[in-house]
Amino acid sequence: MTTRRAQIFWFWIFAGPAMAGFVVFSLWPMLSSLWLSFCQYEVVSPPRFIGFQNYIYLFAHDPSFWASVKVTSVYTVVQVPLSIVAALALALVLDRPLRGRGFWRAVFFLPSILPQVAFAVVFGYIFQADGGLLNRLLALAGIQGAAWTTSPTWALPVLIQVSLWGFGYPMVIFLAGLQNVPRELYEAAHMDGAGAWARFRHITLPLISPVILFNVVMSVIGALKVFDLAYAFGVAQLQWMPGGPARSTLFYGLNLYQQAFGFFHMGLASAMAWILFGAIVVVTAANFRLSRRWVHYGD
Amino acid sequence: MFFRRRDTLLWLVSALLAGAGFWWAGHRQQRPAAPGVTQISWFVLITPLRDLYERQVTAFERAHPEIKVNIFWVPGSEYNTKLKILAATGELPDLFFSGDVWLSYLLPFSRDLTPLVARDAAEFGLDDFYPEIRRAMQLDGKYYILPEYMNLSLLYYNRRMFREAQLAEPTAAWTWDDLVRSGKALTHGPREGRPGVWGCSRVEGWWGEWFTYVRQAGGKMFSADGRRCLLDSPEAIAGLGFYLEKATKHRISAPAGFEPVNGFVNQRVAMIVGGHVSYWLNYNQVPALEWDVQLLPRGPVTRKGGEIAIAGYSISRASAHPEEAWTLVKFLTRPEAIADVVARGNLSVRRSVGEAAMQAKGPRPNPHHLEAAYAQFEFGEPIPHHANYIEIVSQIVQPEIDRMVLGESTPEEAARRATAGVNAFMTTFATAAP
Repeated sequence: MTTRRAQIFWFWIFAGPAMAGFVVFSLWPMLSSLWLSFCQYEVVSPPRFIGFQNYIYLFAHDPSFWASVKVTSVYTVVQVPLSIVAALALALVLDRPLRGRGFWRAVFFLPSILPQVAFAVVFGYIFQADGGLLNRLLALAGIQGAAWTTSPTWALPVLIQVSLWGFGYPMVIFLAGLQNVPRELYEAAHMDGAGAWARFRHITLPLISPVILFNVVMSVIGALKVFDLAYAFGVAQLQWMPGGPARSTLFYGLNLYQQAFGFFHMGLASAMAWILFGAIVVVTAANFRLSRRWVHYGD
Repeated sequence: MFFRRRDTLLWLVSALLAGAGFWWAGHRQQRPAAPGVTQISWFVLITPLRDLYERQVTAFERAHPEIKVNIFWVPGSEYNTKLKILAATGELPDLFFSGDVWLSYLLPFSRDLTPLVARDAAEFGLDDFYPEIRRAMQLDGKYYILPEYMNLSLLYYNRRMFREAQLAEPTAAWTWDDLVRSGKALTHGPREGRPGVWGCSRVEGWWGEWFTYVRQAGGKMFSADGRRCLLDSPEAIAGLGFYLEKATKHRISAPAGFEPVNGFVNQRVAMIVGGHVSYWLNYNQVPALEWDVQLLPRGPVTRKGGEIAIAGYSISRASAHPEEAWTLVKFLTRPEAIADVVARGNLSVRRSVGEAAMQAKGPRPNPHHLEAAYAQFEFGEPIPHHANYIEIVSQIVQPEIDRMVLGESTPEEAARRATAGVNAFMTTFATAAP
């Protein structure tokens, strides 16, 4: 076997399974779902081509579509900055020469190991209106607690609060970024009389800006796809159909799931999936475009 | 080169082993039946009756050695999804758990049992099923389900609370006004270190209670042809109004979101309108809970409107062994089997078993007014048999009811918005009710 032919042979031996997996389990389902998004397909009967009707129904008639877009948008706009700030703040603290620094890093990372489902269930009990831990504590202080999980005003803020416990991953990435900032820059700035804020503002932030961009992009994509947290929260609240009350926790991913596997509107759900895909592409592209103004790659 | 050959060999052996593993996993449940034995599959919800089903199957296989039953247990939350996916892949089980609430939804792959029912009516005692149950077994005059148990909306009440408040217990003559009057007398704040009590629960986030009031006030969900939503009629709005005012005006129910968890069992709620028969067993495991049932209070137009729903068995349209599956269905719904289900704290779908339960001597477990429960059959109404009912109610109507309960809209506004949403949905997607 010639070297060239041997290379081709080994290429297919090693890359072939992965490529076959990609084609069979990713590319083919994606193309199928694109086709299905133009069909009425209820699973038990063959798909029927209906043109853009699924998209028209979603944009013009479906009462749950815009509600879920709103819930997901609010969540993304509020949760992503909060989680980034919380993760960065903790990373800054844990980057300092603290006693037992490794221990504290592990402690703050631990919640990220737990599944969001567990958080949703535990916090669901804590925030329960009648007899929940929080309202019992508030009652001791003479304060009448709210119906945290069963009020459309509070349910989403509660979910955002619950989700913030997953800051461990961005925190670890920030820590890695912070450790790559040259110490000499801090020492030079210090000698020039720069205070802590000035050092943070003019040294730390610019030098970790690529890391911030990475965390923002990943967090935004994650926020747009939220499903498990909302589903588990609804189940823990004994909601007959997760997403309540009054669609206040009906995230886009949850709505998509219910359309697909609750009601078997596979065509409609496929259209929703492609709209989400388009939204993620646009938002990510916008993030990269805007990042030119504030991300520094040290060149 | 030797190293490379060894790697390639290892890779191929691993791939072969993995392939063999997948093949084995896929075929290990398909053991060939012994000669002369037919295997049938049964897709069952995991419920507290699991041990009962297992015993039934053992007894069935003993009585019918020519039939082997393979049970597939499925958690309730995954049941409909798995069933429909199996239908899509052409792998439906011969027999599956069904109910009239989902019947329209399961219809595309449910076998019409009418010829079998007609042929064997005398053998399995079709007339022994209560007339209301027989109605729920059918769609468009055709039989699709043979029921095993049922649910029925009833008025549940705490006898101790009535006694301590020196109130007469509910009677069959009760109306909404009586419910409100007693509810007010039973409602009180915290006393002697014990939390307060609400006179009546209010079920939020589900159609069970508000739809009962809508129907008792003369309202309907759909037009007769199933193509229009009628929830914005004055009668339906009156029903929604009563549901809302239980908390806002009469103050016999907790404000939105503050319904005590398991309030009836925890004795924080004195009455329930609707409830569920499957909770009887749980209620009777709480010794301090003295409870009973009565007919639902009459609404301004009718007493009818509380839900009556059956659960039982359907045979797959694609089943290769419908006769064997039918034999199992008859076995599972014979009087002795129904009596076992009733002994677990359920209402009987068969008259003979129900009457035997009412005539049984000795101390009767709660509810004492078992006769009232069976009398309520006459006033039960199945949910509309509309292919998209569950989706329509939970996705389009319920969010508007939620908003109304939270004070964000009036019953008129909620009904108008829900009706518009349902009609838009039906115009685009839904099939009309049969």
